[in-house]
Amino acid sequence: MSALFNRRNLLRLVVAAAFAVLALGVLPDAWSPWRVLLPSLSPLLSLGGALAARAAGPLALLGLPLLVLPLFKGRFFCWRLCPMGFLAELVGRLNPRGAGRVKRVPHVGKGLALVIAGSAAAGYPLLIWTDPLCIFNGFFAAWKLPFAWAASATTVGFVSILALSLFVPNVWCHRLCPLGGLQESLAQFADRLRARRSASAPAPVNLRVGRRPFLVFLGGVAAAGLDRALGRRVRAAAPVIRPPGAAPAFNALCARCGNCVNACPYGLIVPDLGVTGIEGLFTPVLKFRSRNAEQEQFCFQDCNACARVCPTGAIRRLPIEEKRQIAIGLARVDKKACIAWEKGEYCVVCQEFCPYQAIAVVEQKGVKCPIVDASKCRGCGACESQCPAQPIAIVVESRVPQVRLQAPPP
Amino acid sequence: MQSIRRRRFLKVSLSAAALPAAAGAQDAAAPKTSKVVVVHGKNIAKMLEAGIAKLGGWGAFIKPGAKVALKPNVAWNSTPEQGGNTHPDLVKACVLAAQSKGASSIAIPENTCHPEKATFKASGVEAALKGTKARLYRPAKEDYRPVDIPKGKITKSAHVPADILDCDCLINMPVAKHHAATTLTLSMKNWMGAVPNADRQGWHRNGLPQCIADFATFIKPKLTIIDATRILLTKGPQGPGDLDHPDEIILSTDPVAADAYAATLFKKKPFDIEYIRLAHEMGVGCGDLSHVQIERVEA
Repeated sequence: MSALFNRRNLLRLVVAAAFAVLALGVLPDAWSPWRVLLPSLSPLLSLGGALAARAAGPLALLGLPLLVLPLFKGRFFCWRLCPMGFLAELVGRLNPRGAGRVKRVPHVGKGLALVIAGSAAAGYPLLIWTDPLCIFNGFFAAWKLPFAWAASATTVGFVSILALSLFVPNVWCHRLCPLGGLQESLAQFADRLRARRSASAPAPVNLRVGRRPFLVFLGGVAAAGLDRALGRRVRAAAPVIRPPGAAPAFNALCARCGNCVNACPYGLIVPDLGVTGIEGLFTPVLKFRSRNAEQEQFCFQDCNACARVCPTGAIRRLPIEEKRQIAIGLARVDKKACIAWEKGEYCVVCQEFCPYQAIAVVEQKGVKCPIVDASKCRGCGACESQCPAQPIAIVVESRVPQVRLQAPPP
Repeated sequence: MQSIRRRRFLKVSLSAAALPAAAGAQDAAAPKTSKVVVVHGKNIAKMLEAGIAKLGGWGAFIKPGAKVALKPNVAWNSTPEQGGNTHPDLVKACVLAAQSKGASSIAIPENTCHPEKATFKASGVEAALKGTKARLYRPAKEDYRPVDIPKGKITKSAHVPADILDCDCLINMPVAKHHAATTLTLSMKNWMGAVPNADRQGWHRNGLPQCIADFATFIKPKLTIIDATRILLTKGPQGPGDLDHPDEIILSTDPVAADAYAATLFKKKPFDIEYIRLAHEMGVGCGDLSHVQIERVEA
């Protein structure tokens, strides 16, 4: 076993600490765009996302280095830089007796990478949340004040990897990691290429892609189609509100990196814990009124923080003007609970607070009573967050899919 | 038949004659000394100085070393032109005046309706206060102190920023504008921006005009300065909506009188604004403009 304290580990420590701090979201706002860096470095997320969404932005370029580097340097990134690998290795060291166990585990990671690539090519990436960079990011992004249990869901992957590494040291990096598997495959391919070029090759080198990897890739394509078809009913029925600009194949594209949960200045975004089905587990949904009512609890018209930190394009990077046109939900008045409708007293706080002037009023016995204009309501939740009635008389319901409204904001 | 009619006629005319007398008797209880200074002009800083001069100069309000608290309306993420917030020039002029009179501190607590960072920026107030000693902030839980409102009919207690409770000179500086629920937002309504959300939601729940009037019996600003340089006529309180440009600021030591005058800019009778009527009846100030001395100044 190599020494623990050396230059190599010092560098890994610095890299891990830097990305942890970025993901924690404790730096000033100006640093916020950098939060996409770590997850985007994984081609599985950035290139896979771009491939699936059929829309390549500048972020996709960040995935290129890890496609090229392995061709020349093998798994340099894994052994020298990867923060998840570093921590997994450290934990593995705690259990010297488990050292040999890893040999009994098959190479799952390579297959994972192929499934992700195949399904992404089919437009519906599966399992991209197994990416280690996104898992590392998700752990640190979950620690946000005020602490909420629901927000901590994205720590599960990280904790699992470390627990597994304690039981079977090095199993993550050597056998399970899809990013590692991808790089290993690329490195092996480059090796064979070089071997063929060198004149001293003892025997002709086979360059064909094996039948098994090809079948796994095709399996990914098929699984994507199957999952998309099977999940359609669950998705359509799931009454959730997604961040503005959520792509149609949201469950697939979302890497569960936790960035949007962490970045939302109003604490509205939380990982879903089952409403969207197994497939949508830990994907971000908006919950209004989830914390103390002294803070604004609505999707502010001048904010697109979640879109700016999404590494896969699951939340499209809408400019503010465009975000203001997107209806993520639709408010509904519960007349039985409404102070104006039920008690006949004047209130219309919902109208006061609506940033889109989407609350119209009708007079009932001389009192203004609110009704929602669906052509203007963006479902931002301003009304819900300020409604003084108990129970709340105006709540935002999901609008699936999100629609782009024609009415301009006032 | 005839006699009954005559009797009724007599009754009705007698009571009609008695009404103004009764109203007069009621007004006698209200202070007659209320004075409202209305300054018309284009330069807000000059207008403020001219108005204050008519009220005895800044010295009457701010002594050297005084702790000053200012309550402008900086609630919404909107621009000064849209009329949703107090004009930044007015806030700045007041802060500079307080500084030159030797105020030891100038606190501007504001419980915004929109996220405070964006609101303070868009309203222009944050930029206007740059380089001054004024502290514009959104009170956190620990900045509030519970108070009793002994004269309150519905609202018997509230939470108020300590800076407002502990200051030597409290200045209310609202913007006059349309309001969805109370018809108009004027100075007394502006205190809703000084209490936490839980309090103001409670007021909405329990009869808003009375709650506003209740709080007005407790809070005693030394000076009320209403920004009516431009007034939002529709879509208030947030806007944007239709604007009118009276180019006026309204100053008074009587918040009810100031509100009563401001209501007329919207072509409303003061007592049609329920909280003005209630505050008048509770003796907070005089909302009957026939008993208010209105002094007009051009600046």
